[in-house]
Amino acid sequence: MAVLLASVLPASVHGQDSVVATTLDNGLRVLLLEDHRSPIVSFQTWYKVGSRNEHRGTTGLAHFLEHLMFKGTQKYGPRQFARLVEENGGRDNAFTTQDVTSYFVDIAADRLDLVIDLEADRMHNLLLDAKDIESERQVVIEERRTRTEDDPGGFLGEAVGSIAFRAHPYGQPIIGWVVDLERITPEQVRAFYRTYYQPNNAVVVVAGDFKPAEVLEKIKQRFGGIPRGPEPPPMLAVEPPQSGERRVTVSRKAELPIVYVAYHVPNWKSDDAAALEVLSAVLAGGRTSRIYKNLIYDRQLALDAGGDYSYFSFDPNLFWFWATPMPGQAPDVLEKALVEEMERLKKDPVSAEELQRAKNQIEASFVFAEDSVHRRASLLARFDFVGGHAEKARFLERIRGITAADLMRVAGAWFPLDLKNVGILVPKP
Amino acid sequence: MNRLFLVAVVVLLVALPAGATPIAHREVLSNGIVLLVAERPAVPIVAVRVFSRAGAVFDPPDRAGLANLTGALLTRGTAKRTGPELDSAIEFVGGSLEAGAGRDGMTTSLAVLRKDLTLGLDLLGEVVLSPTFPEPELKRKVAEIQAAIKRSEEDPGTVGSRALSRLVFPGHPYATPVEGTQASVAKLTRDDVVRFHSQYMRPDSTIIAVVGAITVEEARREIGARFGGWRRPSTPAARVPVATPPGPPPRDETIKRELTQATILLGRQAVRQSDPDYFPLVVGSYVLGGGSASRLYGRVRDEGGLAYSVYSYANPSKYGASFVVGAQTRTAEVPRVLAIIREELGRMTREPVSERDLQLAKSYLIGSFPLRLDTSSKVADFIVAVEELQLGLDYADRYKERIARVTAADVQRVAAKYFDSDRFSRVVVGTVP
Repeated sequence: MAVLLASVLPASVHGQDSVVATTLDNGLRVLLLEDHRSPIVSFQTWYKVGSRNEHRGTTGLAHFLEHLMFKGTQKYGPRQFARLVEENGGRDNAFTTQDVTSYFVDIAADRLDLVIDLEADRMHNLLLDAKDIESERQVVIEERRTRTEDDPGGFLGEAVGSIAFRAHPYGQPIIGWVVDLERITPEQVRAFYRTYYQPNNAVVVVAGDFKPAEVLEKIKQRFGGIPRGPEPPPMLAVEPPQSGERRVTVSRKAELPIVYVAYHVPNWKSDDAAALEVLSAVLAGGRTSRIYKNLIYDRQLALDAGGDYSYFSFDPNLFWFWATPMPGQAPDVLEKALVEEMERLKKDPVSAEELQRAKNQIEASFVFAEDSVHRRASLLARFDFVGGHAEKARFLERIRGITAADLMRVAGAWFPLDLKNVGILVPKP
Repeated sequence: MNRLFLVAVVVLLVALPAGATPIAHREVLSNGIVLLVAERPAVPIVAVRVFSRAGAVFDPPDRAGLANLTGALLTRGTAKRTGPELDSAIEFVGGSLEAGAGRDGMTTSLAVLRKDLTLGLDLLGEVVLSPTFPEPELKRKVAEIQAAIKRSEEDPGTVGSRALSRLVFPGHPYATPVEGTQASVAKLTRDDVVRFHSQYMRPDSTIIAVVGAITVEEARREIGARFGGWRRPSTPAARVPVATPPGPPPRDETIKRELTQATILLGRQAVRQSDPDYFPLVVGSYVLGGGSASRLYGRVRDEGGLAYSVYSYANPSKYGASFVVGAQTRTAEVPRVLAIIREELGRMTREPVSERDLQLAKSYLIGSFPLRLDTSSKVADFIVAVEELQLGLDYADRYKERIARVTAADVQRVAAKYFDSDRFSRVVVGTVP
């Protein structure tokens, strides 16, 4: 029994994933992770294109194209993708971020051939029919209404992003400005597809119940014939250093105010990234975190409050903090309380217990992620984008090495008092 | 896509192993606790659920929100530890310990690494059995819940769902929101909370599910050590009336909000898993608005460009069930979307669904079932639900068999009963002329 058990243990439990990683002749990166616990697979196709690759006037293109990827090819006509996946008991969806566009199908392991065929087909043969583009344009605008126009938090977040970045496209909303969504032409969509949907700009990740050698062969057969495309144009924008505080106030219908405070911070490439990740847990990881404990619990200033650092961001991005004041509390009190937390980090070292807790939380979250093949595949892709899937082990090593002095130094370096980006939502009566 | 391939697909999916295997070990402890254990040794984590029949349906009529407040306070102090001490203990090991009430029950959830199981179970036992409900914590939670209710007024989905429950289940506890109202919560006292906890959190109304890197023997020993001494009261457990269809006459409600989009919700009472109509209802709902290949998705979203979100679903619960159709569309298109929903509901009652639509829905519902059970937390939630609803621990297999047997005639017959568009209550949230 013990031997049997050992054979079904995911290798990562022993410290490292046993991943088959290779790059096909056409440049397609392939990562395969065997996990036989359930008779299912997660098949994920990640394209290295997001709102980061968009230009003023055509914002929202990457996400718009994500919608159109479900509209059919020559081989599989309009709306057949979802039909075929569902007919085979699968679940599919997709999402677009600032950096990437990701498609996934989670399905019974014996249906993998179909998924390989569908994904390879739409990498190269999308119809992009003008009529479909028109109707889907309206769908995307509806999505924007839900997420942004009619959502106070979404609306304010967009406003803060756009003042925080002047040169870099991270300041543009992923879903796009509505004036752009209304005008994007079918030609622009097609050109975007041809530019970025190339095997040499994509990563295929499969995790689940299969034999890597067999699946690799099938992926080679089906994806291998897609010709390598020209290298997509590099994204050249660099955000110049911020000089002086920036703030935006939005007045609109809402029940409670919202406060955002965002600082420019480095990404995974920086030696400070691991410390920022730990700092994120110290400040906002659970009910013992400083922001929860001080703003929500002890002082009862906020209904909710937190922070978020994006380690995996392709380019340096923002460290976001937010708070929703309790009724009767003014937004500037919350802004001050959030900033006080940064100032305190610069002056006093975090306690040994806080530091260890933050590390334990990060480490445990990786073990919990092992429970789902979908999350295992996603994590592999994320790490592959930041230097290779083996980076996961190194990431945890770096986390373990962070000291209280590191946190103090990093807080001083990246949360300067006068370089905040602040957004306040003031409810209109 | 040819028909032959399709048929092959369905046969494959339906050819289930004979002799369904229960998904978990089940035993009843001497005090009445139902213990469910599913061993998943591969990942060194354990997920535990303690479910007690102590949901918002048991709120006294003038104490709406009492179960919710009680749940929110379970982790805010025990005989041994203060709330912040509980938080520190569980978060130091990267685990989580959460409690909260739903409509039907109170669920306390633990997730820990295997190595921290003893600590995790100690904390779990304390919060379920010996919460102290400190007065300052209660004041704090009441203020938070009131603020959250206030904020939820800006979310059209929440506002619409609350209104729909009121229209679909008048006179039944399901009409009242789990969180109560700002006014009802203001009246709740510590005595109310203490009484609710002692009255409804009782071993013979409790299911404990343990899933993950643990054996049945370990689970029995560890759960027994902490919950075995929990004494069963001599009074009978409380009962809640079951709402049965057709339900009340339909009503319409428009809730004005300054928004660019209107949220449309149609709902009515329907049937639970114990009713033979349930399986055709699920298949019919899937054909109508269940996924990206559904009729509503096709007409409203794909062809019409009228909505990002359009769907239908059956929502079976312990004390009643509903069937809901929903969409969000720009204000000007509300009449058109409503007309399409009405047409498609009507079509379900008039025409049998096509063989292809039927097979797609069945294949999806059957084939995707393993995806619903692919993590320890999902398995724990699932086995608690099948136990509480008395569906049997082989329900995953029986569900597949029952879905496989549904015919087009079944779907049409059940649609005639539940899809009549004149029988739906309707809520619209937005700027409607």
